[in-house]
Amino acid sequence: MRVLPPWTRAPLLGLRQPAAVLAVLVTTAILACAVASAPLFLSSARSAALQEQLAPQCAEAAWPAIGIFAPAPVGEQAAVAVAGAPRAGWASIGQDAVPALHLGSSLGPGGNPQTGVPVTGPGGERLSQPAQVFWQPGALDHVQVVAGAGGRGVWLPASYAEAAGASAGGTITVGDAPLTVAGVYTDLFDTEPGAYWCDHADLFTNAASADTPPPALLLATDPQTVVALAAAVGGSLRATAAVPEDGSRLTASRAEELAAQTATALAAATAAAGTGAGGPDPRLADARDRAVQLEQGLRGPVVPVAVAGGLLALVLVAAAGSAWADRRATEVRLLAARGVGPVPLAGKAALELGAPALVGAALGGAAARLLVGALGPAPELDPGATSAAVLVGAAAFVVGLGAAAVVAGLRARGMAERPLGAAPSWPARVPWEVALLLAAGGCWLLLEGRDAVVSQAGVAQVNGLLVAFPLLALAGAAVLLARLLTAALPRVRRWAGGRGIPVFLAVNRLTAARGAAAVLLVAVALPVAVLGYTATLTAGSAATLTAKVGVQLGAGGFAATATRVDPAAVRGGPGTTVTRYADSTLTGADGDRVAVQTLGVDPATFAGTAFWVDSFADRSLDDLVTALTREGGAVPVVAAGLPPGPYRLDLGSLPVDVEVVATADVLPGRRSGDPVVLVARDRVPEVPPTAGADQSVERWTDGDVAVAAQALRDAGAVRVTVTVPDDVRRTANFLGITWTFGYLAALAVFIGVIGAAGLLLHLEARSRSRVAGYVMARRIGLTRGAHLRSLLVELVGVAAAGVVLGGALAVGAVAAVYRRLDVDLLRPPTPLLDVPWPALAATVLVALAVAGLAALHGQRAADRADPASVLRG
Amino acid sequence: MSAVRASGVRKCFTRGAETVTALDGVDLVVDAGQVVALVGPSGSGKSTLLAVLCGWEVPDAGALVVGGGGAPDAQGWGELALVPQALGLVADLSLLDNVLLPARLRGPHRRSAAPTALAGQLLAGFGLDHLTDRYPHQVSLGEQQRAAVARALVLRPALLLADEPTAHQDREHADRLLDALHDAADDGTAVLVATHDEVAWSRADRVVSMRDGQLTDGPPS
Repeated sequence: MRVLPPWTRAPLLGLRQPAAVLAVLVTTAILACAVASAPLFLSSARSAALQEQLAPQCAEAAWPAIGIFAPAPVGEQAAVAVAGAPRAGWASIGQDAVPALHLGSSLGPGGNPQTGVPVTGPGGERLSQPAQVFWQPGALDHVQVVAGAGGRGVWLPASYAEAAGASAGGTITVGDAPLTVAGVYTDLFDTEPGAYWCDHADLFTNAASADTPPPALLLATDPQTVVALAAAVGGSLRATAAVPEDGSRLTASRAEELAAQTATALAAATAAAGTGAGGPDPRLADARDRAVQLEQGLRGPVVPVAVAGGLLALVLVAAAGSAWADRRATEVRLLAARGVGPVPLAGKAALELGAPALVGAALGGAAARLLVGALGPAPELDPGATSAAVLVGAAAFVVGLGAAAVVAGLRARGMAERPLGAAPSWPARVPWEVALLLAAGGCWLLLEGRDAVVSQAGVAQVNGLLVAFPLLALAGAAVLLARLLTAALPRVRRWAGGRGIPVFLAVNRLTAARGAAAVLLVAVALPVAVLGYTATLTAGSAATLTAKVGVQLGAGGFAATATRVDPAAVRGGPGTTVTRYADSTLTGADGDRVAVQTLGVDPATFAGTAFWVDSFADRSLDDLVTALTREGGAVPVVAAGLPPGPYRLDLGSLPVDVEVVATADVLPGRRSGDPVVLVARDRVPEVPPTAGADQSVERWTDGDVAVAAQALRDAGAVRVTVTVPDDVRRTANFLGITWTFGYLAALAVFIGVIGAAGLLLHLEARSRSRVAGYVMARRIGLTRGAHLRSLLVELVGVAAAGVVLGGALAVGAVAAVYRRLDVDLLRPPTPLLDVPWPALAATVLVALAVAGLAALHGQRAADRADPASVLRG
Repeated sequence: MSAVRASGVRKCFTRGAETVTALDGVDLVVDAGQVVALVGPSGSGKSTLLAVLCGWEVPDAGALVVGGGGAPDAQGWGELALVPQALGLVADLSLLDNVLLPARLRGPHRRSAAPTALAGQLLAGFGLDHLTDRYPHQVSLGEQQRAAVARALVLRPALLLADEPTAHQDREHADRLLDALHDAADDGTAVLVATHDEVAWSRADRVVSMRDGQLTDGPPS
C-alpha cells in the first residue's frame, strides 16, 4: 500500500500550525508532570522521612556500623581478633571505617559479669566507682586537658583522678593490671562535650537518673592498651567500626545499599573474629524501615490523586487533539470528503503531533523532577524513582498521543459528517458525573467502618478513602452543578436581551457554547474546592497538631535535667519550673491504683506559661491552679481523667495524702496515656533518693528554650536537654499526614494550572471563529471597551461563579470530614477547625486575576486582527 | 447626490520584493438610489476597492468622499453597511440577533420598532424565518450569507457595499437577494455590488469593470 504525502510529510506539516503544536506540547507536559510526580514524590517523602528521623539523633546514627562483642572473660588471642575484626570486615569490601573499642565489664569476685572494671588507686585503695576503658581515634583531641604526661596508658577524668589520688605520669591498677596514667581530662559531664561525644553520651552520663552514674570513663591512648587490658582483666570487649555517611542527604535506596554492605562486612568481620557475637547498628535500618513504611502509607492517597490529576490532564490533551482538527480543518475536511476514515486521520494526527508530544512528555517529566526536588519533602530522590518517572512519562506520551490522535480523528471525521444543527449525541447528554458521586458515596460508606487516620507502627497515615471520597465528591458535584447551572443559561440569555451590550454579548457567548462554559466553570470550581478543602484540613490538622504538641510539651518548649536541683532556684527568662516525678501512683479510697504523671508546679507562674485551650476544662487554668493553694486538709491536687475525692499519692515509696479538688479533661505536660496530676510544688514533701521516684526538673517556656536551659545550668544542673515542638512532631511521625495534604494542595494548584491552560486553549480555539464576528461587530458599532467589558463579564463572571461553587463544595467537604481527621487519637485535644483565610483569599484573587488576564488576552487577539484579510473569503 | 466619490485612488501591496498595484487610479461615483455592479476577474482588485471604500484599507493616493464626508471607517452602519466575502456573522448570536445587532448597537435612545419589523420582513423574504434561533454554524453557508445581507440592510444604510452577495445562492435565492438590494436602492440606498453573477450585472443600474486595478465604465469586453 502506498502511503500518500499527507501522511509521509505529516511530521513537517504539523509545524505549520504552531498553536496546535504548542497546545499538544504543553498539555502533554502537564500530563507527564502529573503522573511522573507520583513516584518522584513518594521517593522524596521516603528520603525526607529517613532524614527527619536521623536529624535529631547523633550523626553516627546514619553511619552503617558493625560491632563484635566478646563477653567477659575475653582471652588475649580473642581480644586481638575481635578488636581488628570490624574494621577488617569493612576493608573486605573496600570501605575505610572508623574503629572504636570499649572495655565495659569484667568478672566479679564470684565469677559473674559486672558492669565496669574495679580500679585501685596508687595508694592501694579500691575505688567505689568502677571504670570502663574506651578508645576511638581522636578521642583525646576532644577533651579538655587538665594534665598530660604523654606516652601510652589511659587518661582519667579529673574527678576520678582526684578520688583515686592519681596524677598524670602515675600508675593505677585496673583489675589486676597496673596502668600508666598518661593524662587527666575534665569530666565530660562538666563540659559541653560537642558533637564528637554525642553518640557516646551514655559512657559518661545517665540521662535517666543523676543518682546512678555510669562507670568512670578511662580513655586509652591506643587500641593495644585496650586489647591488652581486656585480656589482662578478663573483661568484655566491644569492637565497632562505622563508615561515615551524611544522614542529611541520605535516600532510602542508599540506606538499602548500605544495609547490604553492612551485612557483607559483618559476615566478614564475624569470620575474622572467630568468636563473640556480631551485629549491625540497627538505627539506620530502623529509620529506613519506618521511612519505607511511611512511604507505603502515602501510596494509598498519593497514587489515586496522581491518577486523578493524570485523567484530568488527559482530557486537556484530548482537547488539544480537537484543537488540532480545528486548525487543520481545511485539509482534514478534504481528506474526510474523499473517504478517509477516522483511523487514518487519527494516524495523520499522531504523525503530526508525535514530536511535540514527545518533547512535551520530556519537559513534563523534567518539570516534575524539578518541582519535586524544589518543593517536595526532600530534594534527594532514589535512582529507581527517576527511572520509574521516566517510564511513567513515556507511558504518558503514548497514552496522551493516542488520546489526542483518537479525538483528532473523530473530530476531523465528525466535521465532515455531522449534519448541521444536529442534536448532541446521547453520550454527551448522559450525566456521567453521577458515577463519581456514587463512587464517593461508596467510599464514604467504606470509611464509616474504618479509622480516617490509621497508625502503623507509630506512623500516622491518612486513610486513602478519606482522600478519595472528597475528591470524587468534589469532582462529581462540581460537574453536576456546572451542568445544571449551564442548563439555565438559555433563560439567562432571555434576561440578558434587555441588558447592555457587554452583558448581552457575554451571556450569548456562554449560552452558545454551554459545554465550554460548563468546562470553564468546573475548571475554576474544582481547584478552588480542592484547594479550599485541602488548605482548611491542612491548617486544621496543623492547629490540632500544635495543640497536641502543646499539651505534650506543656508549653512552647522546655529544658529538662535529671540533676537534682532546687526548682525554686531556677530563674531566668520567661517561663515556669515544673518538677516531674517518675514512678508515681494514685490510690483511691476503693483501693484502685493507677499510674499517674505527677507534676509539681509553681502556682504563681504555671498558668501564665502552660499551654491551654479553653475546651480543656470547664474552668480556666488560673482557677484550677488557684485551687492548688487551698490551705488545710490533704494536699490539694488537680487531675485529668480522675474523679474528685481523697487519694493517696505515692511518689516512689513516699506516700502523700492528697485530694483531687478540681478536674480537667486535659492538662498540659501529658507525655503518656497516664492521667496528669498537678500539685503545688511547695506542698510536696522532700522525696529522698531512696524512695525510688526519679525526678526531673523542667523549665517550661514560650520563649527561648536556650534561656530556659541556661536557667537550669545556673541552678546547678549538669546535663540539660531541650525539647521543642519539632522534636515531638518528628518522633510522633505525623509527616505522612502533612505530606499527604501537601500533595493534595499541589494537586489543587495543578488543577488550577490545567484550568488556566484549558482557558487559554478554549480562547485560542474560539478566537479564530470569533474574530471575524468581532471585526464585523466593531464595524457595525461595537466599541473596543464594550467588547472588553463583555469578555470580562463572561470570564470573570464564570470565575466568580466557579469560586462561589468551589467554595460551597469545599465547605461541605470540610464539614463532612474534619471531625474524623484526628491525627493522633491518643493525644488530646480532638480536631480543631482552622480556616486559612489568607490562602483562600489568594486563591480567589488568582482565579479572578487569571480570568481577567484571559479576557485581556482575548481582547488583544481580537485587536490584532486585520479586518481586510479576516473578512476576505 | 453621490453616496461615494473616489478619484485617482491608488493602493499598492508589498509582497516580499514585489510590489502589487491593486488599485491604479480608480475613479468611481455611486449615487443614492443606484445599484452599481462591480465586475472583473478574480484578483482584479474588486475586494480591495470595497475595503478601501469602507475604510479597512487606506489608499496610498487619491481622494475619497463617503456620504457627507469624514473617514469611511467612522461612518455608522446606517451610513455605510457592508457584506464581506467572509460574512462576519457573530458566531455566538442567533441569526435574528445577528440581524438586529446594528439596531442594538445604535443604543437604546435610538432604538425603534422599525428595524425589528424590517428584520422580520427580510428574514421571511430570504426564507430564514424558521431559522432565526439557530446559530450561524447551525445553518448552511447560503443561509448565513442571506442573514449577512439582511443585517446589512436592516438600518436602510445610505451606502451598501456587498462582496459577492449571491456567491453561495441558488438562482431563486440569488434573485430574492437582488430584489432586496433593489428595494433598498428604491428607498435611496446607494448599492455597490462586486459580483460574478451575470444576472446581477443585467439588473444593475450601471456596471463598472475592474482589470489589473483599473476601473472602466461598462461590462468587461
